[in-house]
Amino acid sequence: MFLLEHDGKSLLARCGLPVAAGVLLDTADFDPSLLPIAPWMVKAQVAAGGRGKAGLVRAADDLAAVRRCMADMLGATHRSMIVRSCRVETRVAQAHEAYLSFTLDAQAAGVRVMLAAEGGVDIEAQAQVAGAVRSLVLAPEADALEAGIARLVEGLSPRLTAALGDAARRLARVFVDEDLTLLEINPLFVFDDGVWLAGDARIVTDDNASYRQAGLRALIDDRAVAYPEAWRKEHHGCDYVVVDPQGDIGLLTTGAGLSMMLIDEMRAAGLRPHNFLDVRTGGLRGDPTRLVDVLRWISEGPRVKVLLVNIFAGITDLGEFSNLLLEALSRVPQFSVPVVARLVGTRVDAARTVLAARGIALHTSLDEALAQVRVHLAEGMPA
Amino acid sequence: MIDPRVDRSTPVLVQGITGRAGRMHARRMRDYGTRIVAGVSPRAEVADVDGVPVHATCAEAVAATGATASVLLVGAAQLADAVAEAVAAGIRLVVTPTEGMPVHDALRTRRLVQAAGVTWIGASTPGMAVAGEVKLGFLPEASLLPGPLGLMSKSGTLSYESGYRLTAAGVGTSVWIGVGGDPVKGTRFAELVPFYAAHAGTEALLIVGEIGGSEEEEFAQALIEHAFTKPVFALIAGRSSPEGITMGHAGALVHGRHGSYAAKAEALERAGVTVCGSLDEMTRAVSAWHAARA
Repeated sequence: MFLLEHDGKSLLARCGLPVAAGVLLDTADFDPSLLPIAPWMVKAQVAAGGRGKAGLVRAADDLAAVRRCMADMLGATHRSMIVRSCRVETRVAQAHEAYLSFTLDAQAAGVRVMLAAEGGVDIEAQAQVAGAVRSLVLAPEADALEAGIARLVEGLSPRLTAALGDAARRLARVFVDEDLTLLEINPLFVFDDGVWLAGDARIVTDDNASYRQAGLRALIDDRAVAYPEAWRKEHHGCDYVVVDPQGDIGLLTTGAGLSMMLIDEMRAAGLRPHNFLDVRTGGLRGDPTRLVDVLRWISEGPRVKVLLVNIFAGITDLGEFSNLLLEALSRVPQFSVPVVARLVGTRVDAARTVLAARGIALHTSLDEALAQVRVHLAEGMPA
Repeated sequence: MIDPRVDRSTPVLVQGITGRAGRMHARRMRDYGTRIVAGVSPRAEVADVDGVPVHATCAEAVAATGATASVLLVGAAQLADAVAEAVAAGIRLVVTPTEGMPVHDALRTRRLVQAAGVTWIGASTPGMAVAGEVKLGFLPEASLLPGPLGLMSKSGTLSYESGYRLTAAGVGTSVWIGVGGDPVKGTRFAELVPFYAAHAGTEALLIVGEIGGSEEEEFAQALIEHAFTKPVFALIAGRSSPEGITMGHAGALVHGRHGSYAAKAEALERAGVTVCGSLDEMTRAVSAWHAARA
């Protein structure tokens, strides 16, 4: 998952790396003793780029200015995400700005290290200058990383060679040890005395590795509101994303690709699906709990008027699934919208019988199911 | 060199055969025609599962049976070690359906199989199948009709639906390979181009992709480089998805605008691929090719 800058910097600090002192605040009416040393930068915490240009990263010289910035930023929307908190940190003055990043190269099966002596917001323009961005794909082992980084910093000024070499070696260890898929520091501040500091931290963690990353698990648990998708996956074993808060069709679907395609096709046909869901029917194992949770989440969509169940079962027993679905529906009585079921696969006839008892017709054609969805939507419209 | 060739005579191991999924899928694969010669389980207090002998290690199982392929039904946390064990025992083709493999494990495993010249299909894949003959994994039979269409897919369920509709339209598949949905994997679309180019039973190719990553773009490039002459169709999920989480400047510096639906469709079309906008459109386009072929 993509970490908020504050959480990224906290991770770096926990690993012993230098970051500017800062604090996470969720109200403009905070206790001033919490602030680090003045002057400050106030930085809105949303998991998206382009904050600077949107006025969501601002300098503040006194307490009143910090409060003013925060009052402006909190509750603002940036790339359809709401700003719920700000990091206020000590502003860095008079430093050189470099660029350093680590990513995975899926084809070459290595760690790509990219480094530029001149970093900052214009790094992508910098890249047009031949040789400005240095890049190597290295084997993900300590020795190979060490040797490759030594080559990457060769020929820079002595101060940058020392500072970026030290930063790269230490960050490479964090990238591997913490199971990161992106670690980007831009700007990486280098002071006249050669000391360096991470000015920003753009970090993506690997949710699949949460079982061996206690820090990541703790973060997901502490910050369920900031990371709802990771929290649901960690605690409920399924992927659920609200794709249209005003959507009127709830989706109970399995498989990421098929669920995505269904949303594409519905939108192309002028329909408004409310959510993406990969429920993973194979993980239900005779227990309706996950379905109950999912129905509750969908029921929170204020305009959801119909539920479309679309399951292609390669292995799942659809008779058993249908029983679980009815049990789950009965446990979420507040969610009383019509249900349209389109099921294909193992024991579909058993499913037909089970669902018929509740008055739910089973379709095997997706087009027919969508036609039925339209009928229910029309019924819900005022005459 | 990626070599996914497998047939009814290929001796196959099932690692993790004593688990719930291992037992079920070993039985289903055998029922389909796969020659399951042994199972592997480190807790080998059981001598056999449904008549399939169980060994404590891959090395033992290979020595006893001559197995050359293995299907791994083990947990995500054990997967990297289990693949390494199979490779060390001399297995040439490993298929790993397991979801949730840590990506750094996948990276190290990809290096390992490449160094050993082993073909790894997965992770997060329903597996692969030669329709009507053999399957490694659990591609659903409702979607498996023997025929001339090669099929590669990232997403399991979307490929099931595609295969199901094509089956209903009378179009069958030759070799179906689920490369899997993880970002770092054993076999990428592009790496299978030489195999499908050479495969006599494949007359056309369908790829079922999704947004993100650069596999579809690489695949398009490989078609051009290999002067691939068979017709190619593509179905890509995620056209209406919001822009994903950006990989920062790093992503832009490496990949430019790769990853979006538009970038994939454009690259594929430039390589002569018929990009289909919906399941219906894909079914119609492939069926029309099928009906028109000599």
